[in-house]
Order: sequence, then C-alpha cells, then structure tokens
Amino acid sequence: MNPSSTNTALKFKDYKSETKPIWCPGCGDFSVLNAITKALAQLQLPLQDVALISGIGCSSRIAAYTSVYGFHGVHGRALPLAAGLKAARSDMTVLVAGGDGDGLSIGGNHFIHACRRNMDLTYIMMDNEVYGMTKGQASPTTAHDWENSKLTPDGTGVRSFKPAALALASGASFIARGFSGDPNDLARILVAGIEHKGFSFIQALSVCPTYRPEHAEWKKHVRKFETEATGDPMVAIQQIVADDGMSTGIMYQRDLPSLERGGTSPLAGLAEFESEFEL
Amino acid sequence: MSMSDKIKDLDTFLVYSMTLEEEAAERHDELADMMGVHNNPEVAATFRKLAHYSRLHAQEIRDRSEGHDLPVIAPWEFGWESMEGPETGDISAVNYLMNNAQALQLAMGNEQRAFDFYDQISRESPVPEVAAMAAEFAAEEKEHLGMLQAWMDKMDVSIDEKRIDLDLIKMTD
Repeated sequence: MNPSSTNTALKFKDYKSETKPIWCPGCGDFSVLNAITKALAQLQLPLQDVALISGIGCSSRIAAYTSVYGFHGVHGRALPLAAGLKAARSDMTVLVAGGDGDGLSIGGNHFIHACRRNMDLTYIMMDNEVYGMTKGQASPTTAHDWENSKLTPDGTGVRSFKPAALALASGASFIARGFSGDPNDLARILVAGIEHKGFSFIQALSVCPTYRPEHAEWKKHVRKFETEATGDPMVAIQQIVADDGMSTGIMYQRDLPSLERGGTSPLAGLAEFESEFEL
Repeated sequence: MSMSDKIKDLDTFLVYSMTLEEEAAERHDELADMMGVHNNPEVAATFRKLAHYSRLHAQEIRDRSEGHDLPVIAPWEFGWESMEGPETGDISAVNYLMNNAQALQLAMGNEQRAFDFYDQISRESPVPEVAAMAAEFAAEEKEHLGMLQAWMDKMDVSIDEKRIDLDLIKMTD
C-alpha cells in the first residue's frame, strides 16, 4: 500500500502511544522506537494486527510507548511469550523487543531455541552493552575490559557474546544489525525482518548516554556491510566473525523450516496425552 | 549522487521538504517530552515552541502541495547526507540538565543544516521551479536563524554553563 497516498494512511506517529518514554535524554532507544514506528507505517499494518512483546529492562519499556498491542513481560521471557501468541494467532505480526541482558543472559536459553524453532517473529535486541536499569553493570555483550562498574572494577575478564554469530549457530533464518543513530536504515532492516517468513533477529546498537557515554563515538565507527543478505551460512559466519560489530545491514537471510510449518499429521487431543499418565 | 540529482521534480522536492519539517517537529517534541519527564520544564517549553514553528512550516508546505500527486519515498530512500533529515536535531546531543541557551544552540545547528540543504538545491537543481522554491525556503531558514539568534541574545543563561549532575558524582565517587 502506498503509505502517504491517502489522508487515511497511517503515519509513524499513529504507532506511538500517548505514554511518554522515561528513558534518559539522548538514549538510543528513542530512535529504535522511531525506527519501529516508521517500519510499521511503511508496511501500513493495522494497529490491531500487531503485538509488541518485551522483557524487562530500560529497552523493554518500549511496549508501552507504541499503540499496537503490547505485553511488558517477565525478565528474559519475552520470546516464549511471543511464541505462544504467534502459535495462537498466526495472523498477527509479532514483534519482540528487549535488551542485551534480557536476551542473552536471563533469556539466553530462550533466545537460542527461538532461533532454531524459526517461528515467524521479529526480535529486536536493543544492545547497549550494559544493564542500565540496575545502574550500569556489565552485560553479556560488554567488552571484557570495561572497568566502569563497581562490580567489575577490573573488567569482567570474559569475552563478550557476538549475538549475530550465536543467532546463526542457533538456526535463525534472518540476522541483521542496525544502529540507533541511523533510524531510517534501521527501519529498512525492520521492514525486511517483518516481511521475512521465519525468525528475524535484529541487533540494534543502542546508545546508552548515562552508563556508556563513550557510545557517542559509535556514530564515527558504524558503517554498512559491503555485501548484504547472503543465504550461505559459511559466508555469513566469516563476515560476522571478521567484523568488529560496528557494521550494519542484513547479514544472513534464508528460507528455513519453521515450527509453524510442521507436518500435516493430526494433533493428538488432550485425552490422548492424559491417557499416557494413567497408572 | 547529490541531493539535487535525487530531487528530479517539484513533487519530489515537496516530499523532501515536508518530511524534513515534519521530522524536525517530531524531534523537537521528543526532546520536549524528554525534558518534561526529567523535570526541566524551561527547556521543555523551548523545545515545544520550536516544534510548533517546525509544524507551521510543515503545514505551509502541505498547503502548497495541494493538488500535487506526491511520490511515496520510504524513510531510507531519501538518502539524506546525514543519518537523519537535515533539520532533525541529534537526539544524542541533549542532557537533562541542559539550559535554554544550549537548546537554542542545538536548534540553530538544525536550522543551519536546513538552510544548507535548501541553499544547495537552489544553486544546483536543473529544474527552475525546484530551484526557485528551494531559494524561497532557504531564505525562510535564514530568517529563522536570525530569529533564534535574537532569542539567544536575550537569554540570561550561557551555552557554556555547566550544571553539576549529582547522580553522576554519586556514581563515580
């Protein structure tokens, strides 16, 4: 549909709620919100056909700031909640959002299984490399030598996750990275992710001006991948591992089997399951 | 490809101009909301006023677009020379302790980039009607810059003022 051809077309502001974000001024999450609403406007998705499920953390507050259906869930459990919704309402567009800690630490196990199940979800991991809501502790994507937390004054000493590599190894069929400072390009990636049939993992580098003020430098380092959207996992993993984590674009896209597209055999009824427990 | 190469006709120019102004208004509103939520009502009021001015300009362009069959351009297809539209303030350039002079300094940077955008189109566009309208808009932006400078001159706070963030001191002591 042509998004601005009629006066009744939905604008990106229509996808924002009246609730004002309480994120810190300058937070990258504002721009991720803008990118999501621009993507939804571009696709002209009716408000009632979209749900945004989130976990816990600064970024997970995003569900309240959109006017689509929302569920601000349990820490690390946004993906299983979203999977349940998608299983029940496959007609809906289901977006999932959360931070790097929510998705890779507390919800790490759910993340890898969501990747391999390949349900038609779009997962936006707003990665600021820190636990912001709890006042700045190292997260799974924090560099090993980050010394600005009293909990880890000499750095964590452990290597950080490469979220894209983890997603690829776990079976995700769409893997991309965007940057909060470039919300228009992030909107492009989101549109592609939403249109992709399967699990779309989008790492959104999101600036934390409060606990990671050095992120202000990110805009000098971010650049686009020269080649995008390979369907070859070998090519994708080489590109992901060789990259410093600052390249943006669609890294991998492939049509893979989905849990939703399982076999055609009739499902067993509840009584049949119960009978197996009879003594 | 330069901006004047991308903007091949008046309808496309109108879409670029309207988007530039609408996104500037939206950003000023966002900044006003941020300041309001963080108990900085003076700066919130300033950003709200700036959003109002941007909306007036957007409405003017919308009125002039009546009867035109405007093309649809996806957000990422504009190909702005920066990551967002020229008049869209940098969301990372604000702080909850900022004062009104610093807010106006940010706004003047936005207006300057908008002026540069229109001025470049007015000088380089091969389409006379686009060049003429761009020159008109550039003159308006220049006028806005003058108004902001006059507003700034009346301020009783300085852009150099630094307010102490007690939270950060507590965090790092």
